[in-house]
Amino acid sequence: MGLVRGITVTAFFGIVLFVLIPVYVPRPNFIPGFAPPPDMWPRAISILGMGLGLLLAALSLSRKPQADTDPEDAGAIRDGTPLGTLVLRFVYAVLAFAGFIVAVHFVGFIVASIALLFAMLLLTGQWQRKGTVVLVALILPLVLYLFFSSALNTRFPAGSLATILGL
Amino acid sequence: MLNDLLTAFQAVATVENFLIMAAGIWGGVIIGAIPGMTGTMAVTLALPFTFYMEPIPSILLLVALYKGSTYGGSVSAILIKTPGTASAACTTLDGYPLARQGKAGKALNMALYSSCTGDFISNISLIFIAAPLAMLALRIGPPEYFMLMVFALTTVAGVSGRSLLLGLVAACLGLLLATVGEDMYGSFRFDMTVEMRDGLSVAPVLIGLFAIPELLKLVVFRHAGAKTALELGDNRVTRAELRRSLKSLFKGSLIGVVMGAIPGIGPSAAAFSSYGEAQRTSKNHANFGKGEIEGIAASESANNGCCGSTMIPLLALGIPGDVITGVMLGAFMIHGLTPGPMLFEENLNEVYMLFIGMLFSSIMLFGAGKATMRFFTHISRIPPGLMAPIVLILCLFGIFAIANSMYDVIVLLAMGVFGFLMFLFAIPAAPFLIAFILGPMLEENLRRALAISRGDPSILVSSPITWLFAALAVFVVAVTIRRQLKKASA
Repeated sequence: MGLVRGITVTAFFGIVLFVLIPVYVPRPNFIPGFAPPPDMWPRAISILGMGLGLLLAALSLSRKPQADTDPEDAGAIRDGTPLGTLVLRFVYAVLAFAGFIVAVHFVGFIVASIALLFAMLLLTGQWQRKGTVVLVALILPLVLYLFFSSALNTRFPAGSLATILGL
Repeated sequence: MLNDLLTAFQAVATVENFLIMAAGIWGGVIIGAIPGMTGTMAVTLALPFTFYMEPIPSILLLVALYKGSTYGGSVSAILIKTPGTASAACTTLDGYPLARQGKAGKALNMALYSSCTGDFISNISLIFIAAPLAMLALRIGPPEYFMLMVFALTTVAGVSGRSLLLGLVAACLGLLLATVGEDMYGSFRFDMTVEMRDGLSVAPVLIGLFAIPELLKLVVFRHAGAKTALELGDNRVTRAELRRSLKSLFKGSLIGVVMGAIPGIGPSAAAFSSYGEAQRTSKNHANFGKGEIEGIAASESANNGCCGSTMIPLLALGIPGDVITGVMLGAFMIHGLTPGPMLFEENLNEVYMLFIGMLFSSIMLFGAGKATMRFFTHISRIPPGLMAPIVLILCLFGIFAIANSMYDVIVLLAMGVFGFLMFLFAIPAAPFLIAFILGPMLEENLRRALAISRGDPSILVSSPITWLFAALAVFVVAVTIRRQLKKASA
């Protein structure tokens, strides 16, 4: 765990330093006075981050890796569930989030929220409470929609489907 | 000062403000009582709603939520052995055994008395310490400010989680994320999309980082459902019990004040220190952990004792001591108030209104706690699996409503996934958030200092104040490393 974490942190800051900064943090032609250029700060942080990542990786190889690692371990709450199941659940959750973002453009914010809430209630293992799940998933987004749109005048995306249907 | 306080008193004492504070306290107590829902969540969830309010009522609402949730955390700790907030973990040690003995009401009452006392003492200390500290801070320039923030970041990184190294990694991630958007000289950085040119707003980042990972933890790991809450039973705290707890109660309040005023320490550490001290000095030390009411007094007075004093570094220096005050810093800025020494020059009236409002909220905490005690048993029974998805939907609607922006919603969900990955790697979230908030100020002061010195970095260690903060930062790092090495060899 410690080695993977160290390598991941190093790789992340490395990508920022060597790939993202040269492309997305251009130096302007003119810098007023003696002000440092805009890439100075992100570069400094990335170098520091890479150093810390390498240190994490190196310490994980030492004889006392506990000195720096393993605080609240996710493994402790894993409860013997196979890794594949855990990864699958995580992927489902991320897909639900992505699906929500895509769905907002087509079916609007309110319908997408109902679908997301329903999916999340199922994913957290609430399927035994079928009645509660359906009620909460339908009523809560509607109440919030009414509150925000009437009290705060928020205009939620209606979605292209509503436009096609002329709603 | 007295005149200013009286004027502020008149301004705060309106029905509208009282209702807002009462709603905040009640909401905070209820949210704090729900396992898995923290004070940070309570404050962050309310943040979008404050956009439509006046500055002072909105800050008072957030402060009331903070206080309410800090006390509320003790309710589920006592009734179902599940602390609603991390700072209430210590209360579980004696609260739950008392509840098992049929004395849950007694334990809850003692938690309430101690919380209110600690909170009141903390507010008084805020009133008398914040202003002088701010006046002192006015004399410091960009290099000193930079070093002060480095010290604050080091402290937060050192005490959040169990590893300084991971805390520093979190701080680096936060600092890096804060660079997205336009910098102080008008250059754009990491503008991969047009929306990213405006940078990342504080609200979606912090709500995403704290609320969404809790849901993802439930989805991925599927905790067992909520335990059954116990009945209240024996209610009264006797005079003898109160008298024997007084010493621990006041000592705990002072420990809370001191530890709350130091950036990064926070209520959890204060509660455990106070509990340890009470156990060490109490005549009933053998009964600690088995249902000793003095233990509840010690831990609850200390964690609520932090509530007012965590505002000292925020108001006087513009440095949030913990995540909640980090959120409040965001709220101040959203309303055009910049915490720090200039706040006492330019917005003194608002500062005094805040002080008075905080004193009122201490009294309200007592009323709300008493009135809702029986209701708590029902709240504590809501299964986290049902609550977390509801929180997600509240977040989505709240965040969208801030700027009518789907971009903010995407940031919220992306930060949620990122926060969960940080949890998997055991990278603490608090230093990340504090660094994200302090990042722009840190960079601005560094670049200003370098511009003043014509690029000479020695300006950062050119005055006694910069030396002092640098020495303090080194000291914190050394102490943390020593502590961790000791723990590893034990």
